[in-house]
Amino acid sequence: MMKKWLSLISLIFSLMLVLAACSGGGEESSTNEKSDSRENPAKDRGNEIIIGVSGEPQNWDPIDTFLLDWSTIATSVFEGLVDRNLNLEIQPGLAESWEYLDDQTLQFKLRQGVQFHNGEPFNADAVKFTFDRLLGEEGQKGPQYSNYTSIDSVEVVDEYTATFHLNSPDPVLLTKLAGYGAVIVPPKYVQEHDDEFFNNNPVGTGPFKMTGYKRDQEIVLEKNPDYWKEGLPKLDKVTFKVIPEASTRLAELQTGNIDVMKRVEVAQAETVKNTSYLELIDVGTPTVYSLRFDPGQKLMDNKLVRQAINYAVDKQSIIDEILSGYGKQISTYQSELSFGNNPDLEPYPYDPEKAKELLAEAGVAEGTVLDVYIPGNDGNFKEITQAVAFYLEEVGLKMNINSVDNTTLISELIPNGKAGHMYRQGWGGWTLDFDNTAYLMYHEGEQWNPSFKDEKVEELLAAQRATVDQEERKKIFMELTELLYDLAPELNLYQAVDLYAANSRLENFQPPHDDRMRLEEVSVK
Amino acid sequence: MIAYVIRRLLHTVLVVLGISLIVFFSIRLTGDPVSVMFAAGEPTKEAIAEVRSNLGLDEPLYVQYGIFLKGIFTFDFGKSFRSGMPVMELINERIGATLALALGGMAVAILIAFPVGILSAVKRDTAVDFFGRIFSLLGISFPNFWLGIMLILVFSVTLQWLPVSGFEGFKHLILPSITLGLILSGILARLVRSSMLEVMNQQYVSTAKSKGISEWKVIIKHAFRNALLPTVTFIGLQFGSLLGGTVIVEQIFSWPGVGRLIIDAINQRDYPVIQGGVIYLAIIMVLVNLIVDLSYTLIDPRVKVGGSKS
Repeated sequence: MMKKWLSLISLIFSLMLVLAACSGGGEESSTNEKSDSRENPAKDRGNEIIIGVSGEPQNWDPIDTFLLDWSTIATSVFEGLVDRNLNLEIQPGLAESWEYLDDQTLQFKLRQGVQFHNGEPFNADAVKFTFDRLLGEEGQKGPQYSNYTSIDSVEVVDEYTATFHLNSPDPVLLTKLAGYGAVIVPPKYVQEHDDEFFNNNPVGTGPFKMTGYKRDQEIVLEKNPDYWKEGLPKLDKVTFKVIPEASTRLAELQTGNIDVMKRVEVAQAETVKNTSYLELIDVGTPTVYSLRFDPGQKLMDNKLVRQAINYAVDKQSIIDEILSGYGKQISTYQSELSFGNNPDLEPYPYDPEKAKELLAEAGVAEGTVLDVYIPGNDGNFKEITQAVAFYLEEVGLKMNINSVDNTTLISELIPNGKAGHMYRQGWGGWTLDFDNTAYLMYHEGEQWNPSFKDEKVEELLAAQRATVDQEERKKIFMELTELLYDLAPELNLYQAVDLYAANSRLENFQPPHDDRMRLEEVSVK
Repeated sequence: MIAYVIRRLLHTVLVVLGISLIVFFSIRLTGDPVSVMFAAGEPTKEAIAEVRSNLGLDEPLYVQYGIFLKGIFTFDFGKSFRSGMPVMELINERIGATLALALGGMAVAILIAFPVGILSAVKRDTAVDFFGRIFSLLGISFPNFWLGIMLILVFSVTLQWLPVSGFEGFKHLILPSITLGLILSGILARLVRSSMLEVMNQQYVSTAKSKGISEWKVIIKHAFRNALLPTVTFIGLQFGSLLGGTVIVEQIFSWPGVGRLIIDAINQRDYPVIQGGVIYLAIIMVLVNLIVDLSYTLIDPRVKVGGSKS
């Protein structure tokens, strides 16, 4: 008797549990309504803000890392000769102006009266030291070195003039100098301390100096009172807290323990919107996601098949339904933020009939199976891939989806042409110039180009590298994008949109397109 | 006794050697740390080859393994590819947080499971037993990911009694410990109950009862003490896995522990950190097991270590 009761009640309990688990969404929205009426829990914090981030680089030396997590924080500490504003336009940084003396000689006039956080003066010697270090033994151990190999040497002309001598014309050098690896470091400080010390105690010229660092927990930045931009920064202190789990970050934001949340998930957008003292801000990123074809595989070597797949998939519906509209269609493998994007090209329209025609023309049998490889840790993309499979099924193609470890996919499967007919690849193109993306994706023999090969593409790629005339390069890119559009080396899905949430007490907070938070103009009410 | 301990320590060396082989080769089967370092960088093939050789990854495998082996015996696991910090320093920074969490979880589990298990056994087949068993079932069935987030929503966001995450003080330890301990308490309560039942049917318990000793005295002094043996074994084994298995809890509560260090290192393919972290935890686990075995002699004087069997 007892046993029967026991199993009955256990059953009821388990049902309750399942129900509770399933109704998670509902519970959340009811807490929202409550918190909605609550007053702003962070209102008394004073002239400082706390930002919740998902990770930190664990190493602050600019030449040792190449991580977005580094750039989010270190952009406030270090500065380069040139800089990008929030709209990603190149502007003077530590250099006031620059001039090409010829194709291979670039001269910078430096800003005067700038100091590093430790009091060392910024001058041409610091510039030379920075690049000697980056291009020397120390730099060659790290991932930044290879980006700057077109620089042959840096010459100190006078205290505030530095000349870069190049070993070949490099049309993207200026944008690279706005990159992570080219930020200027203090010569004396770096030489006086060992490597490990600088990794943990970075010193630059930026608007904030790092005064506290607990690995994997928090990073404390304080106002640089001697900052060269008049009246900036406005905040006294910025603390970054490392909170890897998105639901925990949101809880910290709701309770007012942090003021800004980086990486809000699409599923969390509603909760943020429904809370009175929070604001949701979305921003387009340079990162694009595609299912790239491996033309080394049978079927994928046929342009008609690749085009057919592009016609078969309704990208806008995928963006609307799975990404809640937080994404933008793309016509080639780059975002609208990239120099070289062709605004005249419309993404392939959704046209299943056309897709069927092309497949028939290519002689592809109904029910042909395509292998697809995607990273197993990205739930959103898994859903997207399933939607793609649905659309392809409509035109008679079957997809066999393989979820694999992301690192294995990037470092083993794709480079060796073992990632099936199609595989997911996301790409940012850190120079924000199509040169980087196009060269690494379509130039024969590159790490992530297992088999794409086209003579005309190679010719155009070489041509845009041979000149520093940006207008001419743009023309070449327009031709290249049209060609790539027709060749369809990938099923282009969308440009990623990043979501940030911020407490309403912040003023002038604008999230970056490129993860590099710029905080000097931010203030609090 | 001393001979026994020495023999067990020698076993440890064999276990560590075995684990070192498995870790070393299994992480090298998949993925390449250098491509991960370039995550945002999009490098050329030459750049990747260059960095790989600078990290010593172009050496033959047996040379790399030799360096690793030497490191085990000198407790120097090299430097992290990612942060450039000595691996031992990274682990030492975090082992405190991990131990605190494992002990906290264990304390919660014991505080809940012992009373529940004992009561269930003593009041067998009554309502008390029944609810005790339901409780165990619930404890076992909660996914700790879900439980952690629910606890945060209830106690931190809605009630605002406890901090959401981080590792700053005792208050920060409460929710993670409950998340970790509740699940374990379900299993442990069942174990306590069944061992208690087994012992309570023994003749010496009936004898004690018949001598007129008060019921609770019998339960605690005679029954519980004897029921403790399998429980302690279980706790010892669980403690080891708590140390390495707190990853999900560490993730939810932004806990700066060794579990997260190793998981991050796996995602980054930071070989020295993975190798060092796993070996470190393995050694702790073996030592905990040794201590558990030795503790038998305290709980039950009839057990002699170093004898034919323990």
